[in-house]
Amino acid sequence: MAPKKKSTPKVRNKTAKAPARKAGKAAKMPPRGTDTSSPSTDPSSNESARGLRVRMFRVGFGDFFLLTVPMAGGASEHVLIDCGVHAQDLGSIRDAVQQMANDCGSKLALVIMTHRHADHISGFASCSDIFSGFTVERVWMPWFEDPKNDKAMAFQASLTAIADNLSAKFAARGGSDSSMLKDMVDNITGGMAAAGGGSKNQKALDVLHRGFKNEADYDYYKAGDQPILPKSLTDAGLSAQILGPPIDPKLISQMTKVNQQYLSDEIETDDEVVRPFPKAFCTDKNGYPSDAFRIYDDQTIIHLIDGAQPDVLAARAKAADNTLNNQSLVVLFSFRGRHLLFAGDAQWGNWENFLYGGAYGTPGHTELTKNAQSILGKIDFYKVGHHGSANATPKDAVAAMRLGCVGMCSTQIHAYNQVPREPLLDALRGRMEGQLARSDQVATQGTKAEKTAGELPDQFKVPATGELFIDYEFN
Amino acid sequence: MTASVRYEAVQPGPIGERFAVIDYDGANKTFYQPVDLNDPRLLIRGGLAPSEADPRFHQQMVYAVASETLQRFEFALGRRIHWRGTKRSASADPVPRGASRCLNLFPHAMCQANAFYSPDAHGILFGYFRASRSNPGSNLPGQTVFTCLSHDIIAHETTHAIVDGIRSFFTEPTNIDVPAFHEAFADLAALFSHFSHKEFLLDTLEKTGGRLFDSHLKPELAISAGSTGAGIQAQIGKANPLVALATQFGEAVGLRGALRSALGTPPNSNDINVKTEPHDRGSILVAAVFDAYFTIYIRRTADLFRIHRAGGGNLDHDDLPAPLAERLAAEASHTAEQFFVICARALDYCPPVDITFGDFLRAVLTADLDLHPNDPDGVRDALMQAFRLRGVIADGASSFSEESLFWPKVRRDALPTVDGLQFGDPNGLTKSEKDNNGDVLRAYAQKYGDLLGFDKNLGKIQALSFHPMFHMGEDGRLFVDMVAELVQTVRTPFGDAGSGTFPMRNGVTLLISQDPPQADKRPPPRIRFVIAKLHSAEREDRVRTYYASSGRAISSKIESGEVGEAGDDARFQLDFGLLHAGA
Repeated sequence: MAPKKKSTPKVRNKTAKAPARKAGKAAKMPPRGTDTSSPSTDPSSNESARGLRVRMFRVGFGDFFLLTVPMAGGASEHVLIDCGVHAQDLGSIRDAVQQMANDCGSKLALVIMTHRHADHISGFASCSDIFSGFTVERVWMPWFEDPKNDKAMAFQASLTAIADNLSAKFAARGGSDSSMLKDMVDNITGGMAAAGGGSKNQKALDVLHRGFKNEADYDYYKAGDQPILPKSLTDAGLSAQILGPPIDPKLISQMTKVNQQYLSDEIETDDEVVRPFPKAFCTDKNGYPSDAFRIYDDQTIIHLIDGAQPDVLAARAKAADNTLNNQSLVVLFSFRGRHLLFAGDAQWGNWENFLYGGAYGTPGHTELTKNAQSILGKIDFYKVGHHGSANATPKDAVAAMRLGCVGMCSTQIHAYNQVPREPLLDALRGRMEGQLARSDQVATQGTKAEKTAGELPDQFKVPATGELFIDYEFN
Repeated sequence: MTASVRYEAVQPGPIGERFAVIDYDGANKTFYQPVDLNDPRLLIRGGLAPSEADPRFHQQMVYAVASETLQRFEFALGRRIHWRGTKRSASADPVPRGASRCLNLFPHAMCQANAFYSPDAHGILFGYFRASRSNPGSNLPGQTVFTCLSHDIIAHETTHAIVDGIRSFFTEPTNIDVPAFHEAFADLAALFSHFSHKEFLLDTLEKTGGRLFDSHLKPELAISAGSTGAGIQAQIGKANPLVALATQFGEAVGLRGALRSALGTPPNSNDINVKTEPHDRGSILVAAVFDAYFTIYIRRTADLFRIHRAGGGNLDHDDLPAPLAERLAAEASHTAEQFFVICARALDYCPPVDITFGDFLRAVLTADLDLHPNDPDGVRDALMQAFRLRGVIADGASSFSEESLFWPKVRRDALPTVDGLQFGDPNGLTKSEKDNNGDVLRAYAQKYGDLLGFDKNLGKIQALSFHPMFHMGEDGRLFVDMVAELVQTVRTPFGDAGSGTFPMRNGVTLLISQDPPQADKRPPPRIRFVIAKLHSAEREDRVRTYYASSGRAISSKIESGEVGEAGDDARFQLDFGLLHAGA
């Protein structure tokens, strides 16, 4: 597993032959240090970005980030990006939200909800009392959350219904595999609220939609939209681009069809055992001639049939999880020549569009697009997607990131298999020259820093108490 | 309908030479009584009458349709077809003797809205399930639906097994087109065998006024002007059953309407970039081939319509006269047969690994040109245009023209002859002939691998399969060919993209001809086509990234040290069960 592949230069045979695809040339992995798109290409980057800060709270397996933007005159504005925890809840989210309320005077210029998984929004429900004291100017959500869009709403409702249904089935099935899958689908709904009906995620969504002190402005974005920032942030010099989710509204009907096919809600038909024929038709192996068992004997056949039944429920759970992660709002912030990429939990399907301009591997879509190269080649900060899981940050994306950018990854071991994925984090560290912080590198009240996560890299800071969050300050 | 299949001695099951129907129900843990087709009471009636309630009719149905499908392929390919007889992966259990001769069919294997080919069980598992109570489509709410009673599903799944026998590496999804190809090809085979049954066509022709390709049928009774809608069932227009595969199956799982409706949306060249789900993507290929099919049908029936109009007929408000319907049906079913053969024969012209839609297009065109140099109705042109409209392009083709899309022919004498290859006769090879051919091909690959494009330093080259084929040309001449697959497997590390190694396969399909004797001597067999997918750093990278993106790169078994670097190859195999599930 040594990352020796890194040094293998990619040979793109085709680019040599086809002059029309010159763009491909730049996609060659540049040898280290000679990156063509180094920060110096951005003229404004010499300006100081002092005061710009990203804070990552440690809450367990979940995202909770606060971006602080300096204003003229020493004040600052704040952007909250997700606030939730699902698996491996450390019980620290309340402290964290309180801490945020104190630090920013319960005032947020912008709240971004990347997608509606519990591990990104549960805090809005569990700390609704604190949030009710917040003034929030604007809220950004993915296109799928627009309450005025009937199709999007129907899509989300069916996804939730499927998740509930699956959750009940996994609970009934028992076993450790099932409990991990149950966790996965419960992440979609947040699980059932203890009282009052509705799911916990619904409660969090309600808070996001109308649970703040004031009435905020709402925007629902998809890839390519021109986002509206609160005036205070624009004045401070912040700008933003929306890179995902990649939804063409014309395709929504098609997508819901895929949804039906892959997430069929007609689960009632599946598991109930039907007796198709009367007993009189039943027999045992002696009802068959011996030639029936010339390839496999009867015991092998029974074993094979019993073993070949696909685990449809597990596949459904995974498909549902993917579907939601790919709804993630992906935002690129720029501030005085610094570029910060927040990828939510975007997985392959979401990245694919941005990186390759279409389905990977189809003709014309095997190399990074120019746009993707130029964006990744200039970033200074990357919020690692999906807690460091393997399919959330494609290898090509890592290779195209600017050498020497820094990263933050909110994660917690033992929540899911292979998350975080060490080789991916190693590759990122290579790109970031070691400057990749993990949320479990700081302690919380009651939980120590995770030893296996290693030391916090030197460009990051923890508070004097040594607990709760990690800061990265630009200069 | 009646399916006619070749006579063979069958035992109760039916257990024949090529298929064994074993009715074990995994959900109810019981066997069901097998049907005895030799029972005089059945013989006299031509088999059991259709009955949903009798499992023995189901067994008979599965046996008959699967046999019919297999025979169609054997006829088209001009040779006997073998089932997969090789292991799926190095760590899998060995395949038992005789597996390549006989495939198992399990008509009631599970209680699930699913039917699939399982290489592990060496057979096809059909499920049954209760139709949705809230949204049953045209089924009764709560009715038990049997997937083994759908002609289309049986033909579709049997085709998966046939393709797996012919190209066993097409179950390794090395690029986005591979799983979609398996689906699309199975759909095409099922649809064309459906279309070649005239009795299915007649009814549809009458209701579409000869326009087979209309997505909706005219209702039996016109709705009178001024009424608000259909009053009786005969007035309800229905979706055309010929363009919707397995409607009963699709409707019962809540999909409403056609499951894999291939037509009905205008072609565009963007779908190929955005559709990634195997059935969706496959439908692009299905739609392309069907576009060509309907185009040819229109060309071939234009004269009939003109004659009809010349006699004063107007199909917009008149009914289609029965003799005309009969002639149209004959033309449509004949054309369907022809397209089936074209598609089936293309399999032999596909590279052995890593297929793309573009490769299939090239294979289709080359296979057809090879046997039918004359193309008076423009079948190849229709196919080419249909693919072009849908943005399917062939890797490496410089333009969209016949010449650049055909696989390049090997110049005479450019490659050494394959001396000693034995072609046997149309009824097959003997064991010693097979052993001899294996040795000859391995030795050839060893000696001339570089000339075929292999990098011999990368590893051993295997002779995966070889099949003699016998085809009658249009002029009555007999063509004797051999199709052989040579494959080299290189264990390639994932590096930081995943766990352990993956099998990187490089391969060529060879078409070797036995020319007729000249000057009283049989010339040595010569290679006419080398259809290659060879190693390149770019392709290796593409496969690696595709495995990573489809979530196959990581193996907890390897990470935990349970198995070695190459110990978990099952992850690189398509799971047909999950492809087809309503999941």
